[in-house]
Amino acid sequence: MITSISWKNVWRNKSRSLIVIIAVTLGTIAGVFVAGLMNGWVNQRIKAAIYTEVGHIKVQNPDFLVNEEAAYSISNFLEVTKYLDNSTHVKAWSARSKIMGMASTARGNAGLTLKGIHPEKDKLVSDIYANLLPNTGSYFESKSKQPPVFISHKTAEQLKIKNFRIRDVTVDSLKTLDVPENVILKLDTLINTRFITQKKFEVAIKEVWNSTEIKSYGPALLSTAAYFHPRAKITFSFTKINGELGYQTYQVCGVYKTSNTMFDQNSAFVKHSDLAPAAMLADNQIHEISILLNSEENIAGFKTTLQTKFPEASVMDWKELAPDAGMMADFMTMYYYIIMGIIFFALAFGIINTMLMAILERIKEIGMLMAIGMNRIKVFIMIMLETVFLTLTGSLIGMILGGLLIKITGETGLNFSSVAEGFEAFGWSSVVYPTIETSFFLGVILMVIVIAILSSIVPARKALKMKPIDALKME
Amino acid sequence: MKVIEIHNVNKIYNESEVKVHAVNGVTLDFEEGEFAAIVGPSGSGKTTLLNLIGGLDNPTSGDVMIGGSLMSSLKGSDLTDFRMHNIGFVFQAYNLIPVLTARENTEFVMRLQGKTAKECSNRVEELLKAVGLEERMEARPSKLSGGQQQRVAVARALASKPKFVLADEPTANLDSKSTETLLDIMEKLNKEENITFIFSTHDARVVKKARRVITIEDGKVISDEYKNIED
Repeated sequence: MITSISWKNVWRNKSRSLIVIIAVTLGTIAGVFVAGLMNGWVNQRIKAAIYTEVGHIKVQNPDFLVNEEAAYSISNFLEVTKYLDNSTHVKAWSARSKIMGMASTARGNAGLTLKGIHPEKDKLVSDIYANLLPNTGSYFESKSKQPPVFISHKTAEQLKIKNFRIRDVTVDSLKTLDVPENVILKLDTLINTRFITQKKFEVAIKEVWNSTEIKSYGPALLSTAAYFHPRAKITFSFTKINGELGYQTYQVCGVYKTSNTMFDQNSAFVKHSDLAPAAMLADNQIHEISILLNSEENIAGFKTTLQTKFPEASVMDWKELAPDAGMMADFMTMYYYIIMGIIFFALAFGIINTMLMAILERIKEIGMLMAIGMNRIKVFIMIMLETVFLTLTGSLIGMILGGLLIKITGETGLNFSSVAEGFEAFGWSSVVYPTIETSFFLGVILMVIVIAILSSIVPARKALKMKPIDALKME
Repeated sequence: MKVIEIHNVNKIYNESEVKVHAVNGVTLDFEEGEFAAIVGPSGSGKTTLLNLIGGLDNPTSGDVMIGGSLMSSLKGSDLTDFRMHNIGFVFQAYNLIPVLTARENTEFVMRLQGKTAKECSNRVEELLKAVGLEERMEARPSKLSGGQQQRVAVARALASKPKFVLADEPTANLDSKSTETLLDIMEKLNKEENITFIFSTHDARVVKKARRVITIEDGKVISDEYKNIED
């Protein structure tokens, strides 16, 4: 009965209640969507950290962590791999040799780490192969005279093997992007001319396009005209295990791009079988073993077991190896609730105000209810339920709409490419796929109920302070 | 059997500097099944006396006993529960709950007592039929006339079978026809259910129907007459 009255009371003054419900709905949509956006970002970052960069667990020589010298390889590599092969927890593992070096071409150079891998085995642990940019080659599949190297787009830019050329395919792309025919025609003189730097390409464009055209269509032209010089040769210089300087020339087999610029700048992949002899490493001289487990729930337990079994090795999990992602995984849920809490805290003032108005308008009626036998606890419950219904209605609508928004954008993705450089510098993807767990909604419902109960205290106190006889006298 | 015993009750309001003796040494008893009117001019203290009997106000001195229970010994929720189980109220301004239908308003006190809608159903229908509103059971107060609303209020007051009903100026806002109908209904229910009715009024039509008329002036009972009215 009290529940029914409370619900009906919400709709006494429809317009006033609707204003509060709309405010709560909008606040909830905003909160849920921001939480979904952040959650999507964090999940993508964690996924990238585990499945592209570090794996679940990594085994290294502890000295290599302090000083990344080729000599500090894993001392009991064969024992470790034998143990991993026999473990039911391990899904896959990949051994990598790592040599710090300097990559050079005729036009540029870049410092990076060469990672010697077994491509087919590494595929089972890292999805770096899936980040191959279109039309840039392959992941160690093409044959070449020189040993192949898989480099990042960032390294390609630093080494100036990213070129620009207006080709037929460029013109077709511009047409699909609704660039006017007469504007495209102005590029005729530049077709098939190769520009080895972006600066030179921009200078040439300025001669045929005016500033408005450059502003409108320049970014599209830049992205469609860019290409990576196929099969470019790169010479790496590095320190061999015996301390001598070594050189090796590689041929680019493919160019990749992840959402983490730092990782991209620092990593180039070669075959271990090519790197080991050049750096005078033995075949089993390995600097890291990246391990992927069957279940993320086993990470802590397996890490402890592995560390106990091989105390001389450094065993670290992904949270230690990618502390930014680890910290987010631990605290983000709390942050989502903080966001929702701040929104509902602000909305609570509006709810209190509305409920106060609603209660003061009916003070005589409440006096009558107390006179005919409704005790103070029931009056409080009635007001509290009324506040809960008012708030919960808005938040449920908000959660449904916010959830739908997350579902839609979760499929299409949200493109923040205009600020991609900034995001990717911190390892954040510029295309986000918002996502949220069902448990979050349950938490929000609980939070809404608590906020509504707290918001009902002020109006309820106001009503309960009145004696029935005084309330009945009020007009 | 005595339902209400009032012994030397005083109520003094101490508002501002001037003391107001609203009820002055009143001693009265009400038997089961009485149909009594407390009459007097405005400000004579009849509503205050009704509030003291109904436990809505506390006397400055003296005792009010309902069915043997001393009202001043009851506090807070106990007093509210006591009112719920023993007293029916009819107010001048009807005071129905606007969001509930006539049926829901009538069963309200019974539901507060913990009865289910099914348990209330027969009693509510019987009462609404008795007050002539069997066709308007699902109507909300805003769809009822003043007289009809007051009839719902009477049904609500009687629904939980209280020991007595207190009606404060129940006909003040009604026209002659509605007043006549309402009084006939209350008289009929008083006889059929043997429930005590006590009115505060200065409406001559109510006084005419009452079998006992208590006249109060300046807070004092100046006459207490029983009438012999032929059925």
